[in-house]
Amino acid sequence: MTVRVPEHERLSLGNGVALVLMPRRDVPLVTFNAVLRGGTLCDPSSRPGVASLLAALLEKGAGDRNAYAFADVVEGVGGSFGAGAGPETIGVRGQFLARDQQLMLELLADVLLRPLLEEEELRELAARQVELIRAAKDSDPAELIGTYGRAFLFGEHPYGRPVFGSEASLAAIDREDVGRYYDGQFGGDRLILVLAGDIDADLMARMAADSFSRWPQAAAPPPVLARPRPLAGRRVLLVDFPGSAQTYFWVGNVGVDKRYPRRAALDLVNTLFGGRFTSLLNTELRIKSGLSYGARSSFARGSVPGEFSLRSFAQTENTGRALDIALRTLDRLRTEGVSREMLDSARAYTLGQYPLGLETAADWASMLADLELYGLGRTYVDDYPAQLAAVGVAEAHAVIEEAFPAADAVAIVAIGDASRIRAALGEYGPVSQMALTDPEFSGWWASGDESRSRGG
Amino acid sequence: MSPPPVPLAAGIDPWRAAGAASRRLQVSGRDAVREATLANGMRVIVWPVRNIPNIALYNWVRAGSRNEMPGATGLAHFFEHMMFNGTSRHRPGEFDRLMEAEGGANNAFTSDDVTVYQDWFPASALERVLDLESDRVARLAFIPEVIESERGVVASERRLRVDDNSHGLLAEQVQATAFVAHPYRFPTIGWPADIQSWRLEDLQAFYRTYYAPNNLTLALAGDVDPERALALARRFFEPIPAQPAPPPVRAVEPEQLCERRVLIRRQAQTPLLQCAYKAPSAADPRAPAVSLLLCALVEGDASRLHRALVEDRQVAIEVGGHWQEGFDPGLLWLSLALPAGADPEEGLAALDAELAVIAAEGVTEAELERARNLSTVGLWKRLASIDGKAQLLGEYEVFHGHWSRLFDAPGEIADVSTDMLRAVAAEILDPRRRTVGVLVPPQSSPDDAAASAGQ
Repeated sequence: MTVRVPEHERLSLGNGVALVLMPRRDVPLVTFNAVLRGGTLCDPSSRPGVASLLAALLEKGAGDRNAYAFADVVEGVGGSFGAGAGPETIGVRGQFLARDQQLMLELLADVLLRPLLEEEELRELAARQVELIRAAKDSDPAELIGTYGRAFLFGEHPYGRPVFGSEASLAAIDREDVGRYYDGQFGGDRLILVLAGDIDADLMARMAADSFSRWPQAAAPPPVLARPRPLAGRRVLLVDFPGSAQTYFWVGNVGVDKRYPRRAALDLVNTLFGGRFTSLLNTELRIKSGLSYGARSSFARGSVPGEFSLRSFAQTENTGRALDIALRTLDRLRTEGVSREMLDSARAYTLGQYPLGLETAADWASMLADLELYGLGRTYVDDYPAQLAAVGVAEAHAVIEEAFPAADAVAIVAIGDASRIRAALGEYGPVSQMALTDPEFSGWWASGDESRSRGG
Repeated sequence: MSPPPVPLAAGIDPWRAAGAASRRLQVSGRDAVREATLANGMRVIVWPVRNIPNIALYNWVRAGSRNEMPGATGLAHFFEHMMFNGTSRHRPGEFDRLMEAEGGANNAFTSDDVTVYQDWFPASALERVLDLESDRVARLAFIPEVIESERGVVASERRLRVDDNSHGLLAEQVQATAFVAHPYRFPTIGWPADIQSWRLEDLQAFYRTYYAPNNLTLALAGDVDPERALALARRFFEPIPAQPAPPPVRAVEPEQLCERRVLIRRQAQTPLLQCAYKAPSAADPRAPAVSLLLCALVEGDASRLHRALVEDRQVAIEVGGHWQEGFDPGLLWLSLALPAGADPEEGLAALDAELAVIAAEGVTEAELERARNLSTVGLWKRLASIDGKAQLLGEYEVFHGHWSRLFDAPGEIADVSTDMLRAVAAEILDPRRRTVGVLVPPQSSPDDAAASAGQ
């Protein structure tokens, strides 16, 4: 027994809306997932965070309801509504009791078609977001390291933008920025809507058509993403976190896209390298050396190649030792490759685990929207086990060559106590330095403003 | 141009109708669940569910930091790590290698009260997983080099969660201050010096005492024939001999007589405020009312505290809350993240003004209904996956007396009245029975006199 795309219905409304309905009656919940093409890549390059603020603002009043009335009606029936931006999308999703599905769709139509987008709400959201970034720096530097890493690696490419904005950009965004995004980039041709769970499919289809089939197309053309250029050579960003007990580090380069044809082999090799507990990385940095609580690697795959990255952390005085091990392990993957036996174990693991992410109606609401967004088709799910079964050593080695960076061609980001680790980091390449408290996630190399480089 | 809105079905009062819904919905599956008590006292519970070809397993050990001693805090958590590090049959690392090679993944967590081992695996690996799980309960090896290496891993985990984390650092101090007699004052991760000083004998004694089958509850949910699962559980676990029951935790926390205060100065941009109130145990009959009180206070943008403190008065950027539902009376936490430069005393005053109203008047029927509905949906979300089902079975068996109580949960949520909620609010939200923690950057100058007045 394996997992296949469940029965569902796909309707194309005349104006370009893709509507997907997937009934499932195990629990009395309904889930919606509305995905709008766009996202951070539509942000003005000088003010990242517009898409993210717009997403948050959608719930702060829509139709006849102001922000309070909207939250009252959603939560009053036990529902949830959440909106956020990604690099290539704005997503709105939520879950309600099945009995409230009509209300749910009415609220969604208000949010997408009739948001109030009030200036005062925008100012409050932006101010709060600035403080939440500061709070995250105080308590979860490891959580932010990918944002620093992408800014350092991708530079001016939209994948380098902080999705949720920076302290500096959020302070500069105004109502006009948000209005321009909504007026230009929202419209029927951008919408993928998945309704899953204990739905009345006929009723939902009728209501969705009534609400969305006359939504005009977006006024502005969809932005086009260029393929980012991989980094040649090595460079280091040091983000100073004075007094930190550990150094948090990230190593990355440009990887592969969502339609990468060797995806099954990629998943197997990454599982072996840094995707599970016994991976090469975790074995070296945790199990054998006791240096770190953990080490992982992953690929972010979008319409164009996102980043391959590995992440770990170690006590400040062990920074160089841990980074050496991480880079040596990456090097070893390329020089030694993987064996048939290793592949078999990774295959069993991947086959055994992937159904757990395709279990609930909410899981399928995500997957069905992804299939639509990237034009993947149901074979992306249905043929995956057969593709995994077919991966041999030669294909795995091709993937290592194509998708994994060489250890001497990577961007390295370290968040830690600069006074104690700067010398060690100098061993890996030219070091740029900024402070964790700086209001941007990137420094002078992106903006050309050398005065922001500190302690150079 | 906007299309006309779709009208709501006429005549539905959303408050009333939703309330009726939360009363009507029943969790099904009670009749499908099978259970057994093995000859050695171990409890096994199995819930067959066939959405995906996988099984979720939770093995609950009734041992947490509550069972530790001064000088050896963090031992229960360290044990959670050591349970993956070799037995007399399998070398260190084999547990994970064997499980992953058959498609399984695992994790574990430790709290004040329990240590829980989790596996998620394809149905085909059931026998292998039960073999591995029983092996480490029966035959754990204690290899000195592995103990030393694992100390480093736990120290790194502590730096991540506590030393480099404002929330963790403050919460550890607040909890250590809130209790004077009860071992709930110990941090689960362990004090730094204790992490460096556990001895082999400490580990062996802890293992013998707490990792006994009579101290375990095993819950499985997923693509499994219950009779086969119970037979396998018998085959692998029943040969492990029972041990004398672990010594009970006799410490009873005395009544807290006055507010206690903690002030930490740490290099940080944003201040934090945490209030930890003494609260009932998980098995307390008032538990559903406590849960709904917390939900009414902090869950969602329409919650009382979010709206008052984040939206209306804008003194906080985030409010949060957590009830440590344990075997013994514990803490109900309310926490505020504050904007840079804010005065925590102002945040506390605003919080207190809201809580005084709640303690005196309770919440409105609409707020209670909102909390009931959110809790009901929250329960259904967990019930949608085999992972949630296995965890819920274990939680109800371990903390609420029997797994079958899970199936009464919707009714218990529906039965809480505004009077019940007001009563628990008045009792819990008493400033004399709380510990207040404040974290501020070194350069700011909060009112030190006020901060130490309650000591």
